[in-house]
Amino acid sequence: MDRRKFIKRLGLAGAGVLASPYILPANRLFAQTGTRKVNHVVFCLFAGGVRNFESMQKAEGNLMPNMLSGTESISADIAGAMEILPSPAGLPLQNYGTLFKEFRYASGPTGHFNGHTTAMTGVYTTTDLNIKERPATPTIFEFYRKHNTTSQSALNSWWISDALGAYPALNYSKDLNYGPKYGANFLQPLSLLNYNGATSEGYVTLAHPREFNVGEKQSAVKMREHFDGFFGGQYNSLDAGIVNTDADADHINLFIKNILTQANAGAYTNPWNLTASMSSDLYNMYFAEQVIQEFKPELLVVNMQGIDICHSNFTQYCNNIRKADYALATLWNTIQSTPGMANDTVLIVAPEHGRNLNSNSIVDAYGRYALDHTSDATSREIFCMMLGPAGVIKQNQVISTITGESVDIIPTIADLLGFYDDIPMQYKAQMGRVLTEAYV
Amino acid sequence: MNTRFIRAGRYASIALLSLVLIFTACRKKEYTYEVNGEEVVKDGVTKTNLKTDVEFISIAYSDLFGTTITNDKLVKLNIEYDAFGDKKLIEDLIVRNFLNDPAVQLPTKSYMDANLDAFISDTYKKFFNRLPNEMEAWNLKKIISADNTITPELVYYSFMTSNEYRYY
Repeated sequence: MDRRKFIKRLGLAGAGVLASPYILPANRLFAQTGTRKVNHVVFCLFAGGVRNFESMQKAEGNLMPNMLSGTESISADIAGAMEILPSPAGLPLQNYGTLFKEFRYASGPTGHFNGHTTAMTGVYTTTDLNIKERPATPTIFEFYRKHNTTSQSALNSWWISDALGAYPALNYSKDLNYGPKYGANFLQPLSLLNYNGATSEGYVTLAHPREFNVGEKQSAVKMREHFDGFFGGQYNSLDAGIVNTDADADHINLFIKNILTQANAGAYTNPWNLTASMSSDLYNMYFAEQVIQEFKPELLVVNMQGIDICHSNFTQYCNNIRKADYALATLWNTIQSTPGMANDTVLIVAPEHGRNLNSNSIVDAYGRYALDHTSDATSREIFCMMLGPAGVIKQNQVISTITGESVDIIPTIADLLGFYDDIPMQYKAQMGRVLTEAYV
Repeated sequence: MNTRFIRAGRYASIALLSLVLIFTACRKKEYTYEVNGEEVVKDGVTKTNLKTDVEFISIAYSDLFGTTITNDKLVKLNIEYDAFGDKKLIEDLIVRNFLNDPAVQLPTKSYMDANLDAFISDTYKKFFNRLPNEMEAWNLKKIISADNTITPELVYYSFMTSNEYRYY
């Protein structure tokens, strides 16, 4: 062997020896540097604009009996409008974690898309935010899928929301370093079911696909590869949004088919057997729980929005806070009864922003004035609840001083899942901090 | 004359000469041997426009049923299309549901087998709005001929879930 060849081989072997411990099964070169505190995080946007007066300060009584301790009765003038919900079972959720009673959405317009974008990117927005576009900075899903080592499959990250506005766009950003390659699966449950009266149009149009056998699938792949081979130049794989592997897509297809079949059988007319009506928030939560049970995702974000009725109906706003509180309790119970997620999940709950101190001029049937959210100081006052295993999250802790901001949630999720240190400084510098006050 | 102007004139002359030399030096002579110069491009190369949700659904429906989708059906399907983040997944699901509809218009396997060249050309025109080049036609013919289980339905499915079908 000549000298040049010897040196070349020696160099390659040396590089291989040095790199091999870091080349992971998931084809990543470097392992995440942090240690996971838990293996699952569920983030619930208790959204629509909740004012701390009605939530933490219980100005109308305890509208959140599943989450908060206390038996304050609901204001007599609106109590009759409250739908009947099951009584809380067990201790209020605040016993299982830390409650930040004076959390802040400190900057940016108190608009829903601004608030949601901030909550899911960890970066405050400005009035320049284009509500028809994806966020400029990466979402938590993208950070998770790019910097997490063990399970980068899109099946592990879900964004579940209704169809209002640009929310579907929050499953990935337009940042060129991240984008759809690292995005989350997105699901709008009621759009999938697409009820037309009692009929699920989703069932009618999507539940009867031609099922190809293994041999047919292989032949189809062969032909598709032939077509795609002649169309390589112009194709941008990211044009299709996020991409699941074939195996994951099969799993999702089966999940969808089961959902639609059950919808057609009437299983979702009142899946929780409630006296109260099923709102889109309750459906969102119900299907988030279906996703949890089916896929056990490491990162799931679920949105509720019905509270925003407060623009025109304060009393119904209070009713919807109660429904969201109930939905959250079922979410927690589902997490704790799902093997693999029980005692290994942190649940974070926060509104995207609050509501104004002063009302608008709309009066509801109970004589209550409605409230908007136009960036006054009160609309920046929110709460945050972090629930989780006793060895990770401080139990039954209430922090009543002004502590924590919306932009702190994403760094905290990244820290809990062990990849905070891997987020490049250019992004981390725009975010808030890790909410270590909640840690044991 | 001011020496500064003389010096500047010299520099300008040198710069101009350099530019002339750069753009004229080492130019490779191109020979043409009685054949017209042709730019070699792949077929379909001009398809840079991604179909919108509505376009994808309505075109797929027309391609398979030979008629225009009703507005009611289009609206319903579009709502369901928007329910998912993975567009390839939902497009695949929509196409497979169309293919399972009794009203779908498909050639028979016997027709395909007996007229494979015409079937391939027609299918390219139907789904890609263009004819296949010789290589494409030869290769697809080879795939279909080698596998007797391939049906027109499977060929249609493969076309409609290909990358090119998402563009126009």
